Formats: sequence, structure tokens, C-alpha cells
Amino acid sequence: MSLFPTVGRKQLGVRISWWLVVAFLAFGVFMHLVPFYIMITTSIKPATEAMAMPPTLWPRQPTFAAWGLVLKLSDIAKSVLSQPLSKYFLNSMIMTFGTMILSIPVTSLAAYAVSKLIKGRAAKNLFIFFIGTLMLPGIVSLIPSFLLTRNFPFPLPVAPNIPGTDVAFPTLRIWNTYWAVIIPAGFSAGNFLLFKGYFDGIPDSIINAARVDGGSEFNIFRRIILPMSIPVYAVVAYFTFGATWDSYLWPLVVIQDSAIAPLTLAIRRISDAFGAAGTTNPLTAVGASAGISELVSQGLSWNGLMVLGLLQAIPTFIFFIIAREYLLKGVKIQGLK
Amino acid sequence: MSSVTLENVVKYYYPAVGAADSKPVKGLNNINMRIAEGETVSVVGPSGCGKSTLLKVIAGLEFADEGRVLYNDFDVTKITPQDRGVGMVFQDYALYPTKEGKNNMSYYFEVHHRSAEEKEQRLRETSELMGIGFDMLMGRQVDTLSGGEKQRVGIARAIVREPNVFLMDEPISNLDAKLRERTRTEIRRLLKKFGITTLYVTHDQQEAIFMGDRIAVMRAGSLEQIGTFDELYYAPANLFVATLIGTPPISILPGELAHGTLRAAGQTELALPEQLSGGLPQGSLRLGVRPEGWLVAREPEPGSLAMNVTRIERLFTERAAFAHGDVNGAPVNALVPLDFPDAKMLYLRPDWERAYIFAADAETALHVPGVPELF
Repeated sequence: MSLFPTVGRKQLGVRISWWLVVAFLAFGVFMHLVPFYIMITTSIKPATEAMAMPPTLWPRQPTFAAWGLVLKLSDIAKSVLSQPLSKYFLNSMIMTFGTMILSIPVTSLAAYAVSKLIKGRAAKNLFIFFIGTLMLPGIVSLIPSFLLTRNFPFPLPVAPNIPGTDVAFPTLRIWNTYWAVIIPAGFSAGNFLLFKGYFDGIPDSIINAARVDGGSEFNIFRRIILPMSIPVYAVVAYFTFGATWDSYLWPLVVIQDSAIAPLTLAIRRISDAFGAAGTTNPLTAVGASAGISELVSQGLSWNGLMVLGLLQAIPTFIFFIIAREYLLKGVKIQGLK
Repeated sequence: MSSVTLENVVKYYYPAVGAADSKPVKGLNNINMRIAEGETVSVVGPSGCGKSTLLKVIAGLEFADEGRVLYNDFDVTKITPQDRGVGMVFQDYALYPTKEGKNNMSYYFEVHHRSAEEKEQRLRETSELMGIGFDMLMGRQVDTLSGGEKQRVGIARAIVREPNVFLMDEPISNLDAKLRERTRTEIRRLLKKFGITTLYVTHDQQEAIFMGDRIAVMRAGSLEQIGTFDELYYAPANLFVATLIGTPPISILPGELAHGTLRAAGQTELALPEQLSGGLPQGSLRLGVRPEGWLVAREPEPGSLAMNVTRIERLFTERAAFAHGDVNGAPVNALVPLDFPDAKMLYLRPDWERAYIFAADAETALHVPGVPELF
């Protein structure tokens, strides 16, 4: 509401520009909602209607058949999906919450240290070092990071031999485990920046007061700083959740075993299988397995992929609602001075 | 409760990263000070003079690079603030914003694993000490309190633990004038009641005089002088202390001393009394006269300084007036009676009993009137 003054609302020029802004924002909202609308409606269409051209705006015969089929996917087509869908869901959850449990304390404590505990040149250099990691595009470090998960601490395909012997250095291999996703995300420079910005805004005198009161540095952080910082934790938790839940490229590189693959990889695999079967586009059909043919005959096509897309999106949405609650709770605490 | 002694305390400051001059600066320069048990010492000085650093060194929030800090005879130089048992009050209140008033005060008991009964009892006692209406504040969220109320909670938080030393860092300078006046009286009353050793930092001279049994004057990291108000006023150690203490400030006139005659402000020859001129070096000097040290006349007299009056400020509550103006460019203030008529020119003669003499090139005091024996 602060975009325009309340005074002068009655003037024609102000009124027109007001409505122009409203129209522009409404258009933006519309553009964001259209994909969701298509996803939801397609997911409750029968297979043939989902493929119909031109597409129908609202399903003529709404049915939840696709939802039922997707949830039993692994029973019907073992060759497409070796594990039940819930297993992939669980894998994604383990990776996401594992990352959050590791990354948020590590990042926030690092930011607190740089912001409040370390002074002078050391703090400045540390800050530059952490921020420097943001300057490198993630794709550049993809291969070295992959090699590190194979032969930690060597970013090499094969660990070198101990000089003078034929024995290779012992290495730590986290590749193809949950840890390969969780540990590299243990520190996030972007979230570090968010945390540091927030902690910088907390006056030193509050920390000094707590020190004089006798609180140890960690107790001060836990009892005084943490409750003040709920909003920034909510934001970072939401970002971390979204980023890890939706990550695709990194799990694709480091997770090979389908028993520990996250939901994103599973969805991609199903989508590929459908593509091969010609369900999504007849021109690209290269031959379908028995399982896929069975699925298609039961009425699964794009509608099934939309169900999977929604299943992927729902947790992020729920988490956003939870985080938003804490975000608003934190606004009250902002009045520091 | 304990006395506080500082012995040759030095604290270095490192300039901001990237500054042209990266040599460490002495933030505190050989501070020697002793605060007796139960005494209140106010520390006054211009901003950036190291007042707050001094307080932090005593609290343990900063460690002295050289020298020692003693509570009674116990060396606490390397002891962390957590273990010093001081109470501190901050300019920006520094209350814990997520806790209500009461929990702000009980954090100390929480981290020291004290019993709930002890905590409750101390809270009750403190609430009674703090006076009427304080128990209302304890139940309220910090962000709903006004500035004055916040500082009351801040003070209560500092005293609830029965501190060894009470440290106050400009506690009332964020309050508005009216409230400041009231809170000042309130704090003074509390300090008298507890009899806690207190260091009170302020940049306001008036506040320092009101609060402190003694006043410490600091400049650029050095302790210039410490003493009672009368000592600072009548026997300043140097020109800086003389100009800082006293409102309106002391008038300083350049002069030349030759054969018992002082040519002041480049115009008038003033005859010095024998016993005064005897102890002074010949040549350039600076003459300092406080507003009440002038003998004011409306007509020119031989041996008087002509003062251009810019304004006569009448202070009705003090039953007096100050004439502000200059003598040959040097600012001068003189005390005149309240009913003194307006005038363009006044003629001033220093009362040599109350005159100060400072060296011309250094700030050394060559002659000061000394503390008068009033009683």
C-alpha cells in the first residue's frame, strides 16, 4: 500500500497508475499460477484427454485414476521404478533434512563468529574467503567435487600412491551414499551472507550485557541470539529445504544406486521411460517395456507426470507455509532500538 | 563489593583494515586510578577519548594490553567478564528483546545455576528497591517499554546480582531532557542506597558533577585529572581540564608578562600583585578567568579590559546573568547580577585571587587559585 500515497488517491492520474500497477501485479500472479493450474487439471484428466490437442481447460471426466496408478507404480512396472515411490520420497527427506541439520548450524555459527566474535583483519579475510566461494559458478566445481566424493581428500580419479611404496593413500569414499549429497552442502556461502547481515544488525551491547551476566559464548548464542534470529533462520531453512529438495544435477552425479536416489531422479527416470514408450510424444517412441505398456493401457500418460510434479512441489509448499509463520513471528522482534 | 584499582593500564587500538596508517594507537595510555569501595566516580571527556574503553577494560569485555586491573587486592586483569561479577548498564539499554522484563533480570541466575527461591527473592528485593510501579515493568515485553522504563529494567538487571562493581556507560543520554533530569536523580538515589562502587561514564559535565563523588577527566586515552569537582574547578591540572569543567567556560586571554605587568589580549596593561608575579616566568602566558572571577564595571577604568557584549543571558532560576562577548577577539563570559542593564561594552578587571595562569605554548597550569576553604 505504500507504493502510492493515500492522499491524492482521487486524482485521475494517480488512480490510473494505481490500476496499472494492480493490473501488472495481477498479470504476474496469473503467470505464476497458470502452470499450477495446468498441472492440477492435467493430473485429474484421463490419459487420452491429457494428450488431446487442443488441450481442454477443465477435464471433461475428472478422475483420480492417475494418482492411484502413480502411487502403485513400482508394483505395476518394476523395470521403470525398482523401489516404491515412498522410498524415493523418504530418500529425498533424508537428504533434505540431513542437509538442513548439518548446514544451518554450521553456517549460522560461522556467520556469528565472523560477525561478532572475530575482530579486525581476520574477520575481514574470513568474510572475503567465504564470499569468494560464491564467485565461482557451481558448474565449474562440479567435476572436482565429484572426484572429491570418490577419493577424499584427493580431487583425482585415483588416489596417488604413498611415495616410495605401491600402496595408495587411504581415501574416504562418500560417493553413492546419502552423505555425498549432505556433506558438500554443509556450508552455504549464500546463507552465510544472510546470517551475517542479520547478526551484524544485533548491537554488540546486548552480547556484552549477556557476557557480564555470566553467559558463556555458546549460552549467549543459544539463549539470547537464537531467539532474536528466528526470522533469518526461517528464511534460510526455507531456502535450504527448497534447494536440496529440488536438486537434480548433483544427486545425478553422485547417486548411482536407485535405492538411495531422491525423488527428482526417480521422476526423471519415469519421464524418460514414458518418452521411450511414446506416451508423451509418439514420434520419439523407441520401444516400450512390458511394464510401461501395461501402465499406458491402464490410462497413464502426461497426467501421471503431472501427479509426480505435484508430489514433488507439495512439500516445498507446506514448508513455505511453516517458514512464513515464523517469519511473521520474527517481525515483532525487529524493534531492537 | 570491592574497590577498583587500575595500574598503568594500556590498551592498543588497531586502525580499521585498509587505513593508511596501520600502526596501533594507544586507546588507553597508562591509566592509574583507584576507586574506593562504595565510591562513585564519573568519567567525563570528549567523544572518542577512551571513556567507554576504560569501562570495558574494568568489566573485562576488553583486556588490558599492559598493566593490571585489581578488584580489592585481587588481580582480575585476565579474568573474563563472566567471572568478574560486575553489573553494567548500557547507553542503548541492551535488554534481551525476546525476554520480558523479569526474564531479562533472571538470566544471571539461570546461567549461574542459582535456585529458583533465591532468584525470586532477589527479584522481589530489587523490585522494591527500584521503587513504585517497577513490578509492573517486570511482566512486560521489552519492546513495549519506553526508553526510561527500559533503562530502569537495565539498571535493575545490573543490580539484581549484587555486583562487585557497577558500571554505567552513558545510561541516560538516549532519554529526552525532562526524563533525563528525573532519571538522573533516581540513579543517584539508588547509588546512595546501595553504596556500590560505581564508574559512571558520561560526556555531559553537568551529569558527571551530579553523579560522581569524584570526577575523572579523560582526553585521547589519557587520564588528565581525577578529583572532586572543587579540585577540578579551582585547581585544574592543565588548560584542558580548566576549559572542560565549568559552564560557561573559563575565558582564556593571551598575554605578555614583563616586570610585574601583564599585557593581556594585546591591549591593556594589568598590574599583577607581587606574590603572583613573583612565581611566574617572564614572557608569553595565558590568563584564565572564570565568569565569576571578573570585576565588572560599566564605565572604563584604568587597567580594565574592554569587552564587546554580544548577549546578556539571564538565568532567573540562578538569580544571575551571564554576559557573553569578546575581548579583542578572545571569547569572554562574565557573571553579572540578574538586574544588570543591557550594555554594548563592559569593562572587566580580573580578580587576581581567582585568576588562573597557563603557559603559552604548553597547557601546564602555572598558577591556580586552589580550592577555597568555605567552611
